[in-house]
Amino acid sequence: MQWITIFKKELLEDWRNFKWVWVPLVFIIICIMDPLSTYYLPQILDAVGGVPEGTVIEGPELGPTEAIMFSLTEVSMLGVLVIVAISMAVIAGERKSGVAELVLVKPVSYFTYISAKWAAKLLLVFTAYLIGMLTSWYYVNLLFGDLSASQFIGLFLFYFIWLIFVVTLTFLYNTVVKIPGLVLTLSLITIMAMSAINQIFSFRMPWFPNSISEHITTMLAEGAIPNDLWGAAGITLGLSVILLVASNFILKTKEMAD
Amino acid sequence: MTVIEVEKLTKAFKGKTIVKGLDFQLEKGRCVALLGPNGAGKTTTLRMLSGLLKSTSGIINFSGSQKGEDIRKYIGYLPQYPVFHPWMTGKEFLVYVGQLAHLTKQEASEKADQLLKKVAIYESRNQRIGKYSGGMKQRLGIAQAMIHSPQLLMLDEPVSSLDPIGRREVLTLMEELKTQTTVLFSTHILGDAEEICDDLLLMHQGEILESGSIDALRQRHQSAKFEIALRGDSATYLETLQAFSSVQDVFQEKGEVHVVVEDIELARKEILTKVLEEDWPLEKLALSKTTLEDLFMKVVKK
Repeated sequence: MQWITIFKKELLEDWRNFKWVWVPLVFIIICIMDPLSTYYLPQILDAVGGVPEGTVIEGPELGPTEAIMFSLTEVSMLGVLVIVAISMAVIAGERKSGVAELVLVKPVSYFTYISAKWAAKLLLVFTAYLIGMLTSWYYVNLLFGDLSASQFIGLFLFYFIWLIFVVTLTFLYNTVVKIPGLVLTLSLITIMAMSAINQIFSFRMPWFPNSISEHITTMLAEGAIPNDLWGAAGITLGLSVILLVASNFILKTKEMAD
Repeated sequence: MTVIEVEKLTKAFKGKTIVKGLDFQLEKGRCVALLGPNGAGKTTTLRMLSGLLKSTSGIINFSGSQKGEDIRKYIGYLPQYPVFHPWMTGKEFLVYVGQLAHLTKQEASEKADQLLKKVAIYESRNQRIGKYSGGMKQRLGIAQAMIHSPQLLMLDEPVSSLDPIGRREVLTLMEELKTQTTVLFSTHILGDAEEICDDLLLMHQGEILESGSIDALRQRHQSAKFEIALRGDSATYLETLQAFSSVQDVFQEKGEVHVVVEDIELARKEILTKVLEEDWPLEKLALSKTTLEDLFMKVVKK
């Protein structure tokens, strides 16, 4: 009951500050930007001019799976940035402003407080990402050829697991510090560090969370879900659960006032 | 019957002890003022009682609660500077925190309307809180603290930040609230405490120096005093006055010398003899009684 109350309040808050409008719009742009600009590159160059007469510009021959991976690459950078930015103040902001002093003096458990907010933010991220990717899928089908529904669903859901991890990581930092800007910085540093670790040790750690997108590429190429994708997805989900539980314990050690 | 009992409550921040082993209990249905100058540890004490801060040591015992039970449901708390979600309306916020305090939506809504009327912001219930004035926020703060009919209502400096009109309104409101529940509020203004409270906890530098009903404290600390005004600098007479056998204490206030005495008759004789002998430029000599203000000032200046 309390959980639903906080969940609804979060949805209402994001509705009133227009996150439910601009986040999906931003995701549409993020997702279609690369496939579209790649496809229309010759025409764009032509229109801008400056290309000597007679030059033939040939874009690389792209298949639909490569084109949709362009979208995922953008989501992994700009999309993740947007996700961290919209989640950085979700608890830290309330602690910093003092609203938490009114809310957490009511008999509500910290885990209810955290998990309800987490679920509400995840729903927003899911929706925005879904709308963005569906738009991308539409254009990919139109411009680069058919991408089957099963392939789309597979890549969409597996990559969403990585986004769950990103949201949860930001929530963890929300309980550690109460300055939203610092939450943003720490989250991004962690994600970048993980990405670096992944690149260095990718052969030794096929189940590392950041390797999900590589395994998705393999999945699209081979047409079957590789075992390593299941492994990485499982590890990432498990880590998310651990981070969420850890957030609860960290928040409990914090004083709600200073 | 006691509502809450506190034993050896202590709070240390970074090696500095802010609250030093408080012992007190609050009786049901009383209105208690936690009085002390700024920095006495009042806010820290209230935050520990409300569960927002963890005590370093000591016991807080809420009567009627089971061991290990969440006592937050029995407590209503208004911080000194309440902050709300500015995008919510007053009514929405009350329903929100009401539901967090285990009321159903229906109950919370009814209780919210009732409280909004009581704190006189019912007309603004559907306005965004961001547009509320300071006084309205303070009243909304009291309403949110009352939403679940707590057994103990704690208000941190509820009137300090308000203008005279807002102050008067909130004090009147508190008069009414104290008939419904036990009220503990902190203040640094003795007048507010005397006006609406039954009991007083006088706090200074993390300790409770005096406690009891206001009447009892008044009696206990009521002694006779002479207020003497002299032309020129009255400081030069302090030492002479202090030396009298009948005099307990001498202090200056607003240019007058206050002489606390034990034996009025003897003191009068001693003082007047001196005045005549040395021909003091006396302008006023009046007999009065020490007030709680004197006690407060004495404690604080120590």
